[in-house]
Amino acid sequence: MTTRKTALLLLLPGLAFLLVGFLVPSLAMLVAPPGVGTGEVLGRVGQMLTDPYDLRIIGRTVGLGLIVTVVCVVLGFPIAYLLARSTSRWSSVLLALAIFPLLLSNVVRTFGWLVVLGSQGAIGQLLVGLGLVDRAPQLLYTELAIVLGLTQLFLPLAIISCYSAVAQVDAGLDDAARGLGASRSRTFWGIVVPLSSPGIVVAATLVFAGSVTAYTTPYLLGGSSQRMLSTQLFSYSSVTIDWAGASATALIMTVLVFVVSGLSSLVARKGATQ
Amino acid sequence: MTRTSTPRTSTTVGAGTASTAARASKPARSSKTPGTGRPVAGTLAVAGYVVMIVPILFVVATAFTGGRTLTFPPQGFSLQWFEKAVTYAPFTGALVSSLQLAVLATVIALAVGVPVTLAIHRGRLPGKGLIEGMFLSPLIVPELVVGLALYQQLMIGFGLANFPTLLIGHTALMMPYAVRVTGASLALADPSLEEAARGLGASPVRAFFTVTLPLLRPGIFSAALLSFVTSFNNVPLSLLLQSRDFRTLPVTMLDYVQQSYDPMVAAMATLILAATVVVAVVAERTVGFAKIFGGINK
Repeated sequence: MTTRKTALLLLLPGLAFLLVGFLVPSLAMLVAPPGVGTGEVLGRVGQMLTDPYDLRIIGRTVGLGLIVTVVCVVLGFPIAYLLARSTSRWSSVLLALAIFPLLLSNVVRTFGWLVVLGSQGAIGQLLVGLGLVDRAPQLLYTELAIVLGLTQLFLPLAIISCYSAVAQVDAGLDDAARGLGASRSRTFWGIVVPLSSPGIVVAATLVFAGSVTAYTTPYLLGGSSQRMLSTQLFSYSSVTIDWAGASATALIMTVLVFVVSGLSSLVARKGATQ
Repeated sequence: MTRTSTPRTSTTVGAGTASTAARASKPARSSKTPGTGRPVAGTLAVAGYVVMIVPILFVVATAFTGGRTLTFPPQGFSLQWFEKAVTYAPFTGALVSSLQLAVLATVIALAVGVPVTLAIHRGRLPGKGLIEGMFLSPLIVPELVVGLALYQQLMIGFGLANFPTLLIGHTALMMPYAVRVTGASLALADPSLEEAARGLGASPVRAFFTVTLPLLRPGIFSAALLSFVTSFNNVPLSLLLQSRDFRTLPVTMLDYVQQSYDPMVAAMATLILAATVVVAVVAERTVGFAKIFGGINK
């Protein structure tokens, strides 16, 4: 396999799958859906960016994405930090427990919130049972439900990204700072957080990109009253069969993810040169 | 997050003597159990675990209910919903479809993906970084967008049936795992071993099967596991490319939840959970759990 010819032959079958199963259809869909011109798709994008109903969906998608990103970093970083610094043998069990949900179906994970938040669910029944409320409050099909579901979904990703970053920061530095008289919180904010910031950037990017494109969670927990770009895309392509709308929604979603990934690699590069 | 320095300082004073004693005997680490002495971080960590794990426990609890609805607390204990779930034809049919698709797509992804890895890491190719980036690109494009694209262009545009379309799509989406995860173990393998085998007279094919492939085994196993799980759990592609004859299990379950609100889905979800635990234990025993996921996120 030293010759260029053999290498190309090895590459070919994989390349064919990638082109037919991903690259060509994706590009074709964005520029020319069946029976719709490129101009029409772009016109539709312009329409969506000015229409109040569509803007609310875009705003909800971006807004909830940002909230979930912040929540995942705020909860995930401490978990990663404690696990990376702990010498307890429980820490490997807790790490496995944090990674395990990544293997588990999104449908199964999200379904749990129906049981917890539903009108007959655990929280509602508890509040009624304690006599705090007369009727179970509406928790399902709210933005809160979507935030909880997406946090559950993407927290493991945040933990892994932060964990590998924290683990690379020499624990001796913590001890040196503490030995020189810095408080625990000063060591944390002055040493651990800045040195593991590349991992935090990766975590935030992965969580945001995942949140603004996830389908199962907004579908099950948000329903039709709390539409997001993903559920809107499905509705255009399978319910109303509006190809221009579907492609325009897909285009907005893709651009959103690309811009955030681009920004994050820019931040990472800037951090690396400093 | 607000900087709550007050509770931190107050506990440092209390725990001060203990941690000084610990430092004297064990200089490298100051805390033994996770969370000790770090109340804010500890509280946030507990909250994180609650959000990740507790909803799953509720699914299991309701699956064993004796009642007819998804009520909490469950009414009595019974296995009736498990019995219903495993005899409900749409679920069993969809399970078979999901397994077929996941196994086939994994095998194809590895069969075409491992040669790509070899070409990238061992071949003399111009623009290697660009080629690798191209094979990793399915990770950045939203899956729902890919699903829509394949539906429009292959199923409607070319009149391809839904199973081949799904298979092509799932295979393309797994390519990043096949290329990057096996690439990580190939990068660790010393190329001079293969050269030594060639120098001793082995044919390129023989050198590959007797030297390179065994070195790649952990990477291939990790990639296969990730690919299988990703395909089996996939919703966005499988949702847009479904047909009446071929639907995967997650899509069928989503549809069922929307129509009726009984604990049968909880029972099916519990069975999937049990199977996933088995997969996780196997992964942990063979390559190590953290390693598999470490490979894709670094």
